[in-house]
Amino acid sequence: MSRTLTDTRIVLRSLQARPLSTWVTVGMVGVSVGLLLVLLGMRTASREAFDRGSGNTHLLVSADPSPLVAVLNGIFYANAPANPIPWAKYQQIRGSFPWLWAIPTQQGDSYRGFPTMATSADFLTKFEPVAGEPWKLREGRLFERPFEIVLGAAAAKGSGLRMGQEVFLTHGSGSSREGGDEHAGHVHTEYPFKVVGILEPSGSAHDRALFVDLESSWILHAFDRREREGNHAKVGPADLVDADRMVTGILLRLPTRPGSDASAAMQQQFDTLRRDTSIVVAQPAQQIQRLFEIVSNVDGLFIGMAVVVLVSSAVSTMLALYNSMAARTRQVAVLRVLGASQGRVFGMVVTESLLIGFGGAALGVVMALVGGIAASAWLRASIGLVIDPALDARSTVIVAGGAVALSALAGMLPAWRAYQVPVADSLRPAA
Amino acid sequence: MADPALHVKDLQFTHAGGAFALAVPDLRIDAGEHVLLAGGSGRGKSTLLQLVAGLRDPQGGSIEVGGVRMTALEGAARDRARGRRIGMVFQTFNLLHGFTAAENLLAALMFSDVPAPQHEERALGLLKALGIPDPDADVDRLSVGQQQRVAVARALAARPALVLADEPTASLDPAHAAEAMDLIQRACRDAGAALLCTSHDPAMRGRFARVEDIERFARGAAA
Repeated sequence: MSRTLTDTRIVLRSLQARPLSTWVTVGMVGVSVGLLLVLLGMRTASREAFDRGSGNTHLLVSADPSPLVAVLNGIFYANAPANPIPWAKYQQIRGSFPWLWAIPTQQGDSYRGFPTMATSADFLTKFEPVAGEPWKLREGRLFERPFEIVLGAAAAKGSGLRMGQEVFLTHGSGSSREGGDEHAGHVHTEYPFKVVGILEPSGSAHDRALFVDLESSWILHAFDRREREGNHAKVGPADLVDADRMVTGILLRLPTRPGSDASAAMQQQFDTLRRDTSIVVAQPAQQIQRLFEIVSNVDGLFIGMAVVVLVSSAVSTMLALYNSMAARTRQVAVLRVLGASQGRVFGMVVTESLLIGFGGAALGVVMALVGGIAASAWLRASIGLVIDPALDARSTVIVAGGAVALSALAGMLPAWRAYQVPVADSLRPAA
Repeated sequence: MADPALHVKDLQFTHAGGAFALAVPDLRIDAGEHVLLAGGSGRGKSTLLQLVAGLRDPQGGSIEVGGVRMTALEGAARDRARGRRIGMVFQTFNLLHGFTAAENLLAALMFSDVPAPQHEERALGLLKALGIPDPDADVDRLSVGQQQRVAVARALAARPALVLADEPTASLDPAHAAEAMDLIQRACRDAGAALLCTSHDPAMRGRFARVEDIERFARGAAA
């Protein structure tokens, strides 16, 4: 192929002639694009991650102070719910409507800081932690009788527990005394639980939990109750009284036909249940939306800051090019003498600015991808939160395109300076 | 009859500050002819070359280069005509720094009417003919003499009808000045290009069959 020179090659040579300035400017655009993409990506990803926990639940009933607290406690294990709901209330609610399922849950115990969810088998067979994605077992089986325990993926990894091991749960949701925390609740040493199954990761907060049969939990607390009364004998199912049979939450799902909208029926049941002042009813999706509305101001502030950084990088591009024009006046004049028109010289400078924008945008996308993958891996490993590191195509196109457009705009002033170079005067020998 | 390489007719130019003026009633350079424009510094020699190249606008008159009336053209059309018909050699060469010797010629060919597939052959051929051993050498790594050869080769790359050489020997000692003029004149002769060369050096007069004195055209005090 024969050698020719093109405008783009001249522009590339100009950029190569100023490597430090070029790379610093490209780096600034890259950092701002990467920052903006990571912030946008994390916003979307964290929202998706929050959406995952509520799964296919329509309503959540608890005795927490507010619906938002109910969702944060009951689905995201923020704290153990403080107020119990009697078993009779659960039965009343279950019988009040032909629910597809009504799953009782009880939280309050833990193992090495990982929360325990005492529940019915339905939690692992009918409730889907992510709508459309039922639980999957990685090892073993689901619990079938009291004092069997099934581990969430992150709990299994974090605790180091293996199949067949026996564990003692701690009363309370803090770190156990086994972990050295003296302020944690007492350990239920009388009742060992055997690990019978380990779940695949679901990408929800439930991965951090350990799942046991509800009756086991009632027995533990019945034993505590009787100990306080001075009776140290072990407790069996026959010893349970109504005061022992408590739950802290009820997950409800209305019957739906595929493709039908359950929102009207859900709202009706929501309103009906709300009339009972002894309980709190939450629509998890609505509460998550509310949570995001609360934090949206801070979110907007971060996005605004990232946009400011992006604009600053465009200003830097403009200054770098504008200042370089002083040293390149003679080069521009030579090109003009050789036959380049003012418009062509203008275009070359804008192209130079565009290439900086393209380079920065590409670098930013790579940085955002790498950063997203690293953040996703860290979140998954540390708190079991699954965040998709993939960049949203629309956001990526808008941010990268915006950076390129801003760079092109930033090139206008230096390009105008090049356009106006006085050719004859610029070619005089230096004094 | 072939078009003259340069025909200046009734040219009027007054410097913006009014320091000096040029009036050229008739100046004709035939194809392939070499002309020295002699005279002292600041009398308008460079300005006349810039007017011919279309880098300045005269107040009146016409300038034709290779049959194209430059004064009738504006903007990009005039730039295009300059790139195709005029080559320029400067005292300080004005090479594109950071570019190779070959790229300096290719830059001139970019704006010429030489077909792109011939650019490489044309550039390498000229550099070889003018004794540049490595066309891919960065011009900043070449000796001063080699840089001058690249500058001359670039001026001829687009097969111009006219080469304008503005004080090409002003910064050289007499021996090197003679060598440089030999190079420019020989290269222009080989390429069949006319040459209009300015110089304030009286020693240059003997090298040209035709010498025009700027005082013929200058009006007013020295700039």
